[in-house]
Amino acid sequence: MDFVTMNILESTMVSICREMGITLMKTSYSTIFNEALDFTCGLADLNGDMIAVADYCPAQIGGMPLLVKSCLKEIPASELEDGDVILHNDPYRGGLHTPEHTFFKPIFVSGELVGYAVAIGHIAEVGGMAPGGFCGEATEIFQEGLRVPPVKIKKRGEDNIEVWKLLLANVRTPRVNYGDLRALIAAVDLGEKGMRGVYEKYGLETVRRNVSDLLLYSERRMRAEIEALPDGIYPFSDIIESDGIDAERHYPIEVEVHVRGGEIVVDYTGSAPQAAGPINATLGVATSAAYNAVLHMTDASIPRNSGCFRPIRVVAPPGTIVNVDFPAPSVGGNTETHPRLVGAILGAMAPVAPDRVMAAEGATHCNFVFGGVDAETQEFFACYDLEGVGWGGRSFADGNDGVDSINGNCRITPVEVYETRFPWRIESLAFNVDSGGAGAHRGGLGYTKQMLCLNDVIVCSQMTDRHLFAPWGLAGGGEGGCGATLVQNAGRDDWRTMPEVYGKASTSRYSNVAIKRGDRVRLVTPGGGGYGDPAERSPEAVARDVREGYVSAAAAQRHYGYDEGGK
Amino acid sequence: MKFSGNRFYIESYTKCANCGTLVYDDSPEDKARKVVADGATYCSQWCVDWAHEREARRAAAPKT
Repeated sequence: MDFVTMNILESTMVSICREMGITLMKTSYSTIFNEALDFTCGLADLNGDMIAVADYCPAQIGGMPLLVKSCLKEIPASELEDGDVILHNDPYRGGLHTPEHTFFKPIFVSGELVGYAVAIGHIAEVGGMAPGGFCGEATEIFQEGLRVPPVKIKKRGEDNIEVWKLLLANVRTPRVNYGDLRALIAAVDLGEKGMRGVYEKYGLETVRRNVSDLLLYSERRMRAEIEALPDGIYPFSDIIESDGIDAERHYPIEVEVHVRGGEIVVDYTGSAPQAAGPINATLGVATSAAYNAVLHMTDASIPRNSGCFRPIRVVAPPGTIVNVDFPAPSVGGNTETHPRLVGAILGAMAPVAPDRVMAAEGATHCNFVFGGVDAETQEFFACYDLEGVGWGGRSFADGNDGVDSINGNCRITPVEVYETRFPWRIESLAFNVDSGGAGAHRGGLGYTKQMLCLNDVIVCSQMTDRHLFAPWGLAGGGEGGCGATLVQNAGRDDWRTMPEVYGKASTSRYSNVAIKRGDRVRLVTPGGGGYGDPAERSPEAVARDVREGYVSAAAAQRHYGYDEGGK
Repeated sequence: MKFSGNRFYIESYTKCANCGTLVYDDSPEDKARKVVADGATYCSQWCVDWAHEREARRAAAPKT
């Protein structure tokens, strides 16, 4: 291997991917892109293997290889021409869920196809039964928005007008969608242009040889990391609350992690049959969760590409909560079930890799989505809003407070932007005291966001989790706090749940609730589990937590034996 | 699930009975690797062996 050239090429390709992402952020219309950064950008080789990626949304990074490979089985490379752009969002064909739109563009050099530029982004409004795309009560894919199998949205550089018309006729916010889809195309255009420059500078054979070496290098380093773990079978079980349809039914996740020399097999066999409601994960989601869990436990300096994934096999039985079959719904699988799968894999590995895992995090993106007609502009608006949670404590540090759930890696939309773009007033946003699980290393805190409705009506839906089952601790650590969603109707003093006010089955998954002017919504997000025996937490850390308001004096006394006098 | 030859209305794949991977009818690579065993389609011999191994291991495990 020529390490110098390989490293220069790798850095160049990652820079191209980052620039693709910046283009997407700067040119898109929705807050989900330009504030939350819910997208990823990468490059693939002729086989659809990911050769470089920017560090945006890991959940999409893990799904990228399967997405591109699935598309290429339906639109063969021989049918691609210079200037084509492929669009795809089908959850049953390698996709993650209907909002996740994948664009990829073939890269031709001197008339020869050499690879692909890829951008995946979460489109905030995709049609279906509820504005914002997260229908907590969907029972079939057709309620989750327009499903797009691999199609050419551009042919030889020209818009495929028929596809555009179909796409934009089936969503509530065509103007905004048009801007976001154009931004995704701009990203793949930039990726294609950048890679053409790379090929022109270094030559076809040099790039091919070094890219092949790069994948091999990542594979070898990943195998070495896995080999350092003791061989064995490591099981773990967790449970997901309800599915939005049957509030009393809960869904087990079963994971066995098999470490065999330099390979890992993640076997989900035994997990629940697929649910009626939209908590099912697709094959792409289950695969991505396994890949990312292994990435979390291994050296972060290994170049991120498909070579990393070669030593990892995923067994996700069809027709289950980890590999949904047509036509069952799946929109929550990518945001809710994905982090739970990752948590289960980390939990399984805790006995043999205690310094590389964390206790359970909040494991929900909270997914509060809404839409309506703006009273001032008379234009339809829709928003996909995600909120932060507390992360789990680790053997060496407390959990992070109020950040996006694992593998989302998205930013929380600032209050000022939120209020400018949508008819809500954010009345308060504050950490939930005592929501971090007790431990030698405390869990991170969730928070509460309280909003006042300023429009005549805003139609709201939600797909969240952890209202019933608290995030677990590790190595003697305590549980994190649960989440909640509460409503205060105008003219009333009390706060009530969605089942209490609107007769919904679940407090955490519901669709199309009409919040009216003067109503308030309170989103309470879960905290993270603690790590290690609370008795081992240093008295200084406990005193600091109390002083700074992370832990109340009463809870500190209960969990840590804290004396309010400071002793 | 029934499949459409023209690919207009239903996908042209099945799922491996073990790992759930999509096995495409038209993919020469998939066709070459797939195995039909125990009345089910598997993406590869590895999955047949893995399913048998898992079944045997779980059958031998003490009931809890």
